[in-house]
Amino acid sequence: MSAVVEERIDDDLWSAIGDPTRRRILDLLLLGDGTATSLSEDLPVTRQAVAKHLAVLDRVGLVRATPAGREKRYRVDEAQLARAVAQLSSVGRAWDARLQRIKRIAEAIQRTAKEQ
Amino acid sequence: MEFGTIEREIFVEASPEVVFEVVSSPHHLQEWWPDEAEYDPSPGGSGTISFGEFDADRTVVGITVVDAEPPRRFTFRWTHPVGDAARVGNSLLVTFELTPTRGGTLLTMTERGFREMGWEAAVLEQQFHEHETGWDFYLPRVAPYAESLATRR
Repeated sequence: MSAVVEERIDDDLWSAIGDPTRRRILDLLLLGDGTATSLSEDLPVTRQAVAKHLAVLDRVGLVRATPAGREKRYRVDEAQLARAVAQLSSVGRAWDARLQRIKRIAEAIQRTAKEQ
Repeated sequence: MEFGTIEREIFVEASPEVVFEVVSSPHHLQEWWPDEAEYDPSPGGSGTISFGEFDADRTVVGITVVDAEPPRRFTFRWTHPVGDAARVGNSLLVTFELTPTRGGTLLTMTERGFREMGWEAAVLEQQFHEHETGWDFYLPRVAPYAESLATRR
């Protein structure tokens, strides 16, 4: 896969999890497999809307579908989800380190000010 | 789980005035984040922050102060190309909120804009992170290693 194509997929992956309804769908699917019908019972949107969201998630590989009667049954692709989550948690760790340094610097200044 | 926004909180044993100075002034910013920072820390002020000390691996990005209310709030955008106006979609938005508490300050940081900027922004942040934590990671390990070398003699 060329770098350009890979980047494109990453962008799609990112916008796929950017949507609050799709994040809710992922949360529900992490609890157990589901179909558009079963998921729509737990969501304030129609079955048709859920099916569209599932298609977006399927396209970027976040969910996998298997035929189940007239519908499709979906489950989360945990490897792909982990890949997306890892990217952001690395950024979170960066801020943890920065905030620790802010704390050290501010507390050193405060101590010096008190001593004077 | 909220994707696209990072939120952190830390208690600092210092007054909000001191903490505000540390999170907003270019001089202090250099001590906890980029290698170099040049900007006017008042609302609308803009400039640059640079990562990497040598020309070859140096990255320079824009920083624009959105809001500065000492000693309560400091907000800025960063990662936009130098010279471009900062806006939603070309930069990440960082907000520091300072709340006075018993014996110090509660500092809350949020970083937003990953969703609007797309995946590349997260990759970019990860790269800056890798750059800046290089020494943080290795330095504390140097001393014990040196000691273990000394005792083995």
